[in-house]
Amino acid sequence: MSATTEVQKLFMTETEELLLDMEDALLSLESDTENIELINQLFRAMHTIKGAAGIFNYNAIVDFTHPIETTIDRVRKNELKINSTLIALLLKCKDHTWALVNASVAEDELDLTSLMIQSQNILAEFNLSEPISPALPSCPQPFETQPISPERIDERYTDSGHWLISLDFKVDALRNGLDPLNFIRYLQQLGQVLEVICLSNRLPAFEVCDFESCFLSYRIVFSGDCSKEQIEAVFEFAQDDCDILILPSQKISESFQNLIDELNPSENQRLGEILLTIGAITERELTKSLNLQSGHIPECASKKLGEVLIANQLVDQPVVEQALKKQTQAREQAQTIRVDSNRLGQLINLVGELVTASAAMRVMVDKYHLLDANDQVSSVEHLVQEIRENALQLRMVQIGETFSRFRRVVRDVSNELGKQIELTIQGGESELDKIVVEKINDPLTHLVRNALDHGIELPEQRISKGKSPTGHLMLNAYHDSGHIVIEVTDDGAGLDPERIRRKAESLGVIEANQVLSHAEILRLAFEPGLSTKEKASNLSGRGVGMDVVKRNIEALRGSVELDSELGKGTKVTITLPLTLAIIDGFMVGAANENYVIPLNMVEECVELNQGEWHEQQKNYISLRGELMPFIRLTSFFNISQTNQHKRESLVVVRFGRSKAGIVVDKLFGEQQTVIKPLGKMFQHLKGLSGATILGTGDIALILDIQGLITEVSIGAKKHHHVAMIDD
Amino acid sequence: MKMAQASTAGDITQYLTFQSANDTFAIDILDVKEIIEIEGITRVPMMPEFLCGIINLRGRVVPVIDLSKRLGRHTTVMTKKSCIVLVEVSHEEEQQIIGMLVDEVNEILEIDDEHTQPPPDFGADLRVDFIRAMGRVGEHFMILLDINYVLSVADISAISQLSFHATDVVNEE
Repeated sequence: MSATTEVQKLFMTETEELLLDMEDALLSLESDTENIELINQLFRAMHTIKGAAGIFNYNAIVDFTHPIETTIDRVRKNELKINSTLIALLLKCKDHTWALVNASVAEDELDLTSLMIQSQNILAEFNLSEPISPALPSCPQPFETQPISPERIDERYTDSGHWLISLDFKVDALRNGLDPLNFIRYLQQLGQVLEVICLSNRLPAFEVCDFESCFLSYRIVFSGDCSKEQIEAVFEFAQDDCDILILPSQKISESFQNLIDELNPSENQRLGEILLTIGAITERELTKSLNLQSGHIPECASKKLGEVLIANQLVDQPVVEQALKKQTQAREQAQTIRVDSNRLGQLINLVGELVTASAAMRVMVDKYHLLDANDQVSSVEHLVQEIRENALQLRMVQIGETFSRFRRVVRDVSNELGKQIELTIQGGESELDKIVVEKINDPLTHLVRNALDHGIELPEQRISKGKSPTGHLMLNAYHDSGHIVIEVTDDGAGLDPERIRRKAESLGVIEANQVLSHAEILRLAFEPGLSTKEKASNLSGRGVGMDVVKRNIEALRGSVELDSELGKGTKVTITLPLTLAIIDGFMVGAANENYVIPLNMVEECVELNQGEWHEQQKNYISLRGELMPFIRLTSFFNISQTNQHKRESLVVVRFGRSKAGIVVDKLFGEQQTVIKPLGKMFQHLKGLSGATILGTGDIALILDIQGLITEVSIGAKKHHHVAMIDD
Repeated sequence: MKMAQASTAGDITQYLTFQSANDTFAIDILDVKEIIEIEGITRVPMMPEFLCGIINLRGRVVPVIDLSKRLGRHTTVMTKKSCIVLVEVSHEEEQQIIGMLVDEVNEILEIDDEHTQPPPDFGADLRVDFIRAMGRVGEHFMILLDINYVLSVADISAISQLSFHATDVVNEE
């Protein structure tokens, strides 16, 4: 059972991905109805799910997906037009398929039965929505004028697959001792010759005819349980004196396609090899075509093998297409490997150890002045750094996928609420750690729903406010100094600072007479319990407020900012670190402890001269005319100074738009830093985001600059507040 | 629970005894991962006093707690004999290793489970939930600590949150 579960799990993930692809394709189809690649994508999704479900005997899924596949196929063949009704229906089908998959894998019979009834209902909708089929029935043509084609044979012999053998004997065939009749007789040993048509159109006028020459051509309809190769063998002796074409009938051609489908070609298999494996072409045909291709005949020289094969009627076009598709698939499969994310995590942990170990090696080399080893150690360090970057890159994924999931949300919500909302996605190619992506999904969903539900107004309201009836929601992502910035922007109602203020006052978050800037009031929206929307809808406002969003993002060492103008719209900016595992750090010392500041936040380092330092008791200095508040690590962390340092340095850090200084005793420089979490015991600790182990084996604490600054400013505000009350 | 089972069977349990805060304590040997020398403890700012800091245990970051201070007594003074007893406690279904700074490790004692008694309601000068049982060795009673309470991650993190805010206020003043 456990083995099955593994496979089932795979089936589930694969199906989920396919369905997501399908949803994407459907949503894109809404604006791009002609895109055949998107329709193919739909078809592939349904087809693959059907196939996979068939393996597991999930008949409910097969029964449901098959008619959908047929419908999509008809769209593909232009028999059916794609329109919004069909897209809506197919979206429903997508959801239903997922439900079916879940129920099937869970073996929930009860659920499955009710779902199957639903299946019927959904499928019935297809017939209703279907417009009159524009496909014309192919008009039968008179037998004489119709060229012998595989299709015609199929019409006449529908019971099984047939071969159409075309023999064009050359003029000298009889002189070389070939008897066409012998071949046809011999063919009967392999199977049944159903029909022989003798073409005599090459026969010259009686007067000029040379009776030792052969002018006859034959078209043979042959049925037999044999391969193309075997048939070709029959005519082996005639090869030089006869042009032989063995054409599969539609049925056989289809069976080739199926064979290709089942085939599992290795990455580098050539098209010819694939076709040869399934017996669609013979070795001789392949060699001939390859010769043609290699330039003996100019017109074939530049063509691809597939085109040559089709041009020479050796293989049907669909078969070649199928084979090519399979080939690409195989290549794609070879390009991506599914890896358990835990294993990747393990690798990254090991790389972390490697970074620490190589730092330790460097310490030893420097300590004992091992000059000979210096080069080696340097090259190891260099390699370790590359490995580190590569390993972290493995876990990087584009945010686009997360973003495009919201297209569905936006579509559904706008339908439900009767709003017109257009979603714009930008910067979907920005990459960040998979773990971060997974964790950002919930807060992002919350923000998007907020914007849809509370932000963007109903069309009438929008018009009355002089805005366009269609609301705009934009998801944007870009990289900024080692962080990824995600923006959720809407052009809706915006936040009312007065209401936030009133609510905050009633909750006792702020005092009635407290003077707050616009930004400060907006920041209050992140306080627990501050949902300004009086009535909760089923979309948002379920008691999970912006405070949760903020907390989730801060747990990822990120930050969230809100910018809003009443009546104009709201913009939420989330800033997140790219990775949670290893960073480039800048090491500093305060008292006897070492601290690491994320390097990408360090702007510059300034030496503070003693005089300036002692004169000022205030915690800010003027840096080239710019006001620079600073935190003195030793006093903030309450570290007792054992020996008073004469020199102190100011590290200027930047976070988002704000800058601050951190006063430290020593500067050590850059350092690859493996972030080790401090553990649950330190979960309430602000200002420190983890620890790292140095090459010496000592531990340095990693500063959470943002947390530190927030903590200091909260402290300052409280202080200010206390002072006010004292007055 | 384990105790209750064991005592009916009359089994013998092994305990590690050590000195801390001028007293002798014992913990179940099965809870002890290892005993290490004190090398460098990195202080973590803004944490309660009994949390000495963190150490590097072969690449892992492990918190160390001053047992004496945690039990409400004086701060441990480091001597040559001071060492760290590493124990494993479970928190939210995760195993976490925590170091316990003690004055001196004594010996491994075998105490018959029949010779253990539930903790007294008072008189031990210790939070009652810290005591798993009292073990009788000869004529003396020894406190068998319940490390899952003494080193409770939830408890410590709650205390540190409080002390963090306390330092906040101190800083402001």
